[in-house]
Parts: sequence; structure tokens; C-alpha cells
Amino acid sequence: MVSAIKQVPEPRPGGSAVPGGSVGRGTAEETERPTTANTARTSSGTEQPAKQETGPGVGNSHAGLAEQGEQAAGPDSPADTSGPERVTLTWIRTRTRIWARRALILALRVFRLVVTGLRHIGPGFRLLWRAILKRWRRSLEFRTVLTTLVLAMVSFMVVGAYLSNQIANNLFQERLAQAESETRYNVKQVQDTFDGAQVTDQSSVITLVYDTLNAVEGRGSVIQRRYVFEAMPEQTKPRNRWVESRASDQLTIRVIPPELRKAVQQSGKDQYWASMEFPVGTEDRPGIAVGNKVTFNGTVYELYLIYDLNTAQKTLNEIQNVLWAGGAALVLMIGGVAWYVTRNVVSPVSHAAVVSEKLAAGQLQERMVVKGEDEMARLGASFNHMAASLQEQITQLATLSQMQQRFVSDVSHELRTPLTTVRMAAEVLYDARDEFDPINKRSAELLYNQVERFQSLLSDLLEISRFDAGAAMLDAEPQDIFQVVAGVVEGAAPVAAQYGSEVRLNSRQKSIVVEMDSRRIDRIIRNLLLNALEHGEGKPVHISVGANHEAVAVCVRDYGIGMTQAEAARVFDRFWRADPARARTTGGSGLGLSIAAEDTKLHGGWLQAWGRKGSGSNFRLTLPLRQGGTIIKSPLQLEPADIGFSATTSERRLLVLETPERLKPASESSQDSPLDDGMAATQDNNSDPGTKGPTAPAERGAQPAQSREARDGQSPSDGVSEGEAP
Amino acid sequence: MKARILVVDDDEALAEMIGIVLRNDGFEPVFCADGGQALDVFRSSKPDLVLLDLMLPGSDGIEVCRNIRSESDVPIVMLTAKSDTSDVVRGLESGADDYVPKPFKPAELVARVRARLRPGEQKAPETLKIADVTIDVAGHMVTRGNERISLTPLEFDLLVALARKPWQVFTRELLLEQVWGYRHAADTRLVNVHVQRLRSKIERDPEAPEVVLTVRGVGYKAGA
Repeated sequence: MVSAIKQVPEPRPGGSAVPGGSVGRGTAEETERPTTANTARTSSGTEQPAKQETGPGVGNSHAGLAEQGEQAAGPDSPADTSGPERVTLTWIRTRTRIWARRALILALRVFRLVVTGLRHIGPGFRLLWRAILKRWRRSLEFRTVLTTLVLAMVSFMVVGAYLSNQIANNLFQERLAQAESETRYNVKQVQDTFDGAQVTDQSSVITLVYDTLNAVEGRGSVIQRRYVFEAMPEQTKPRNRWVESRASDQLTIRVIPPELRKAVQQSGKDQYWASMEFPVGTEDRPGIAVGNKVTFNGTVYELYLIYDLNTAQKTLNEIQNVLWAGGAALVLMIGGVAWYVTRNVVSPVSHAAVVSEKLAAGQLQERMVVKGEDEMARLGASFNHMAASLQEQITQLATLSQMQQRFVSDVSHELRTPLTTVRMAAEVLYDARDEFDPINKRSAELLYNQVERFQSLLSDLLEISRFDAGAAMLDAEPQDIFQVVAGVVEGAAPVAAQYGSEVRLNSRQKSIVVEMDSRRIDRIIRNLLLNALEHGEGKPVHISVGANHEAVAVCVRDYGIGMTQAEAARVFDRFWRADPARARTTGGSGLGLSIAAEDTKLHGGWLQAWGRKGSGSNFRLTLPLRQGGTIIKSPLQLEPADIGFSATTSERRLLVLETPERLKPASESSQDSPLDDGMAATQDNNSDPGTKGPTAPAERGAQPAQSREARDGQSPSDGVSEGEAP
Repeated sequence: MKARILVVDDDEALAEMIGIVLRNDGFEPVFCADGGQALDVFRSSKPDLVLLDLMLPGSDGIEVCRNIRSESDVPIVMLTAKSDTSDVVRGLESGADDYVPKPFKPAELVARVRARLRPGEQKAPETLKIADVTIDVAGHMVTRGNERISLTPLEFDLLVALARKPWQVFTRELLLEQVWGYRHAADTRLVNVHVQRLRSKIERDPEAPEVVLTVRGVGYKAGA
């Protein structure tokens, strides 16, 4: 047996063996072919990792074949596509599968974490998500950094995948070339040994064959290559064929891809290779199987040498780990750089935003910090310039306004002091007029009246100029509007008597507390009432008060000469008169309604006028119940309901719209009235014919004294409607 | 006896006119045209009432008002051409009892003066109590425990008006009528300012009043 080993001849140095030579040439051509092909297939391999991951037994079932020799000439031949590039692919797939498994495990863990997290901090997570979304919308910095990170990650992944594949490919090609040349050498040696062997008895033959094959595994503790040795099927079995098959450790012929076997069986003396997986211990290892035929004692055997790719795989894993780690670090660094750069660019902008917000809020002395000479510094400088000129103008305006106020105040004093003297003197004369002769008496009367008129004109002018200067201040506090209205009606009683008009107060409510400057509201209503009396031609004047939950309205309606729509639009203009030829009987300044409009504006309310020639006019004052409140709808309609159905379409529409409001039960409207400040809302059902039925008096939280006070305050309004008429 | 009235006004025409009106109604006017001398004239003439113009040369009317108030409870009525809230309130806060805005009618002025000069009606011995404050109406004295609280006549009248009807909520208008003697609606700020001044004197904590309570949206009432 030992001698049999020794009989193994040395390989011929010249390579004169025809098969060997042909293989060598074939390999030279071959080495180029799969390289390009593999490169071409690389991307497709990485594109579908998941698919490959799920595909079972990819490595074996799809093992490609590398044909050598003459068949290898055409790189683009159809045989090629299912050929060697697949082999590399298999290997890549193996790796991909490992990676995909890791990724899957990681993804599962993350998913489980997210799910448990969601269960525990569901609302918190939603809040966080909303916060991130908000940040995304509002922060340029955040957006830029996040976008940069994502893009960097994507680009790194593309580059990393390419690099990783390229490295894998090169490693594989190197190993393949090595495997092929080693196989060639070893096969040749085995064949030489077999050729020179003396077939004597069974045991020596077996020993020879086994020893020869074992020698292929290489010397040393590490197995350099494994082998599978199998007699080719379908051949006549000679008498003295003692060896059927033989393989390294646990291997069998089944680990060899069938395609490779087929190729080896069908060809002559050519060498083929395929990627495959083979078991070592419990794990499957990637490898390359290179197959050829050897003949021994008349029997043709298939000899496959299997080269372990595990080391290459480990190297590749290492390289990939380094690559990914480096990539992650790089991405983080890019993120950091992006954050830094964005911050540098954005922080002056956000600083400018903060400063301009402060400027807008009235902090006019705010300025931007200007550093350097770059674009940001220019922006800052011009911003500061703008702020400075803005501040200057605003200060100037404020000074002007102050001067104006001061002027108004001074004029007020300077004019009023002599006017007071004149007025007192006029009154003394007026009081003594009965002692004068008729001419002097009339003069004293004229003097007295005109001084009065002069005084009212002056005070109106001063009031208007105070509005214009923005010096008018609202001194609002909660008060019952009925007290104000009653006071006005009482005060205007002499004038009403003079015109012969009856003033009637209509309301469903008894008390409506409004946050208002009662001095100004008194002035508005007085103006409206006197105006109505003046133009009322002696017909009754109706005052209606109504409230909803947000506003209170006072309507002053007269049935006098009325006015056109165009006139109604101009009625609040200063010194405007409907009919210039009309005698200025009451000697109004012509500023009354303008002041009323300004007073209303100060309260944040509405003052509107409606009129029709011959049908009289209606003025409506609407005030928010609380200062700063908004009015959506006035509780009373501007267009009087009593105007009848001769109205135009639009007017009728208004009428219809307002009807439900007017028919609302009194109890409902009483709920609308504000009661929270302890004022009692007492109701009766006699003041307004439109009131539906009696309701229980609501005295929520009111003390007896208060409710009596409320009725006391109300008492004039009931009496006034008729009582003040002559 | 004629009530003596000190008229402090730099406008001679107006002062003279006021003098004519006052004399006509049976008062004895004393004049002072300079704010700086107002206090001296006040001390020497010992008037029953001061009519004070807010805008004076030399010394501000408000300053004069404060000086007079610091040494006397004599009623002070301001004559003011400024109807701006801040000026009126400042005048009232410096110690004036009432004010008459220019231009005023003679009758108006006289009514204001008379209201402040109302001779103390013959009051029956009467003792009122609000919270822990005791009011001796006839003796014009307000005490908390043994501590005497000094009030101006107007503040005293205000307190008495509230204390006499502790069950009633007084609107500002009602107080104007009862305490100041206005028959028509007037400036309710008068009431606000004087209630604040009264509180600063009689309340333990003016921020949380116990004697004079505010009834939101209506007016004031006496504390329990």
C-alpha cells in the first residue's frame, strides 16, 4: 500500500499533457469572462435580498456551471446566462441571506419594542410624533439635518453595497482561480498515480486509491480541499472494480450540484466548477466544487474537489462590518456637519425672526447682532437700519400724537376759562333780562343761547380731536344699560315735550349688565334720541333694548321724515346734514353722530343707521357684553319689522331671517342675559307685546336689596313711555 | 353768618365773575391768584370752602390741594378745564371733594358750593356700626376699638350714608345724589375715588375690604 503511494508520479513539469494544457488555456479565457459577468449581475443580486433570502436551497439548486475549453469562447452565448455568474450570485445570496436574517431579527426586535412602547406610551408617542412633525414644519435646521442624514444614509448604502459586492467578487475570483489551478494539478497527480498503479489485489488497490485521494486533502492539520470521488454511472462494471466511491469526512456525492455532475459526465476531460454549500460539522459552508474525470483501471470516475470559502466569507464579513461601522460613523458626522453648517446659517435668520417679532411687539430698541462682513452681517445691518428708521418714525409719530394731545388739552383749558367767564356773565345777564328793555332783553337771550351753542360746539370739537389724537380712553365697568337708557330718556324729556313726541321703551328684559363706559354710552344714546326727536316730526320715538349671549343692542326708531339709503350711509360723517337748507333747530354741532360712532368704535361695537323717506329711520347700537368680545349677530334687527311687506325682496328676506329671533320665548332670551355678576333678571310680560307668556322671575344669587335696586333702576323706563309726554 | 369761600384762580376775569356770582348768592369770596400763596391766604382767611383751579402758575393746583388737605378738612371743590379722566382722578385723589368742569353755569357752581357747605343738620345722638368700625354721627367721630380714624367731612358723609342702610346696595348715582347732592347723573368716578380713599383709611386691608363692599355691576354696600 505504501508502495502504491510512492508510485504516484510527479507532475510533468512542461505540462505536455494535452488535457492539462487545454484546461490551462481555457482557464485563461475563463478568468475574464465571469468577472465581467459577475459585475453585471452584482446589482441585481443586491436589489432583491429579501427574495433571495426566502428562496430555499438557492446555493445548490441554482448552481451554475462553468464550462471551459472551446465552449467558453462566446461570453454572450445563451449557455452563459445560466452559467458562471450565477455561481458568484449564489455566494452573494448566501451572504445576503445571513445579513437578511440579522436584519429580520433586528427589525423584529425594533417592531416588538415599538409595539410595547406604543401600548405603554401610546399618547406620549403620538405627542412626540406630533412634536417631530411640528419641528419639521417649523425648524429649517431640523429639516436640513434630517434630510442630509437620510440622503447621506441612502448614498452610503448604495456605495457600500457596490463596494461590498466588488470586494466579494474579487475575493471569489481569486479563490476560484486558485481552486482551478490547484484542481488541475491535483487531478493530474491523481491521474498520474492511477496510471502508474499496479492493479494487484483488492486491498492494495483500495489502499492506493484512498491514499492517493487523501493526499489531495493536503498536508497539515487544516484540510485544504475536500474531495468527492464517484464512479460514473451507466458504465459496464469491470470485474476488478473495487472502489465505487470515496469522499472526505461526511461528504457524499449529493453535495455536488447535479448540473455540475451532468456537465462533468457529459464532457471529455474538461474541468468544470460550481458554487455550492457543503456541511462541516453542523453548519453549511459556502464552497466551490471543481469537477473532472479520472480513469482508474478502466473505470471512469468523477473527481470533485471542494474548496472552502469560509475564510473568504469571514474576511468579507469583517470588511463589511468595518464598512458599515465606518458608514454609520460617517453618516453621523455628516449629520453633525450639516447641523453645524445649518446652525451657522439659520441662527442669524432665526435671530432676525426673534428680533423682528420683538420689534413688532413694540420693543423698538431691539437690534440684531452684526458680526463680520458676510451676507448675514449685511442682512443684520440692513435689518438694524430698517428698525432704526422704523423706531424713528414711530417715535416721531408718538411725539406728534403727544403734542396733539397736549395741544388739545391746552386749547381746552385756554378756551374754556374765558368761555366760563362769558357764560357766567351771559347767565347773570339772562337771569336779569326782565329788568331790561326789549332790545337788551333779546340781546341777552341771544347771547345766552349762542354761548350755550358755542360751548357745545367747542366741547364736541375737543372730543373729536381727542379721538383723532387717539387720546380717548375707555373707562369700562359693568353697568346696567337700562339705567343709562332710562337716564337718557329722563334727561331728554323736556326736548321730547318740546317736539310733542312720545318716547317709548320696549324690552323683554329688565336688566342687562354690560361692560361699558357709561358716560360714553349715555352720550351715544342721548345723541341718537335727540336726533330722532329732531327728525321725528312729533311722532313717537321707540327705543328697543335686546340682548343675546354675546351682545346688547339699543335701537332708536323714529317715524319722521326718514332718509334715503345714501343719506343713511353718510349720516355719521362730520358736519354732514341731510338737508342743508333745513333749519338747525336744535343747534346741534353736526358732530354728535360722529362722536357717537367714535364712542361705539372705542367699545368695539357697531353703530348703524337705516332710513327710508317718509317712513322714518332706525339707529342701532350694538355693544359686546364684555369688553374685547366679538359680535357675530346683533340681538335686534336694523330694519324695523313694522315697515310692512311693501319692502323690497332683500328687505323681506331680512325680515324672515329675523322673525324666529323675535319670536323667541322670553325665558330663552332671559337666559341669554348675563347674570353672573349677581344682578337679578326680573321679568314681566307687559312691557313688550311680542313677549310670549310669563316666566318665573329669575333671581339667581341676588340679594333682596339688589333686586329691589334693579327694579328701582328700572322704574323710570316704565313711566317714561307715556308719562313724559306733555 | 356768611360762608367765606376762597377762590384760587389765576384768571382774574373768571375769579371776578365767580366773585360776583358768589356774592349774589350770599357768600363772602376771598381771592388768591397765585398757587404759591394759596396756602398762606388759606391760613389767614380761614375759609369755609375752597374753590381751586387745577392749573395754576407757581404751584400746581393738585399740590395746593394736597397742602390744604394735609392741614385741614375744609371742603375743596376743584374747577377744572380738563375733563380727561386722569386729571380729574388725580385731583380727587389729592384730596378734593368734588369738581366742577369748565365751562360751568353759575347755578351749577353755587349748587356744588352749597352741597359742600350743607350745615350739619341737627343730628340726634346716633351710633352706627359697620364691621368693627363704630361711627358717632353727632360727634363726627369714627373709631375702631380705641383707635380714632380721621376722615374728611365728605368721607364721613359717605360712610354714614352707607352705614344707615346696611341692607341696601347703593348705586353710584344714588350716592352722588345723597352725599354730593347731585340731582342729575354726574361723574361716577367721584364715587369710585372717594370710596377708595375712604377704604384706605378705614379698612384693615384696602385690597380685601370689609367695611365698604363692592357689589359688582351695581355699586357699594356696607359690610356686615
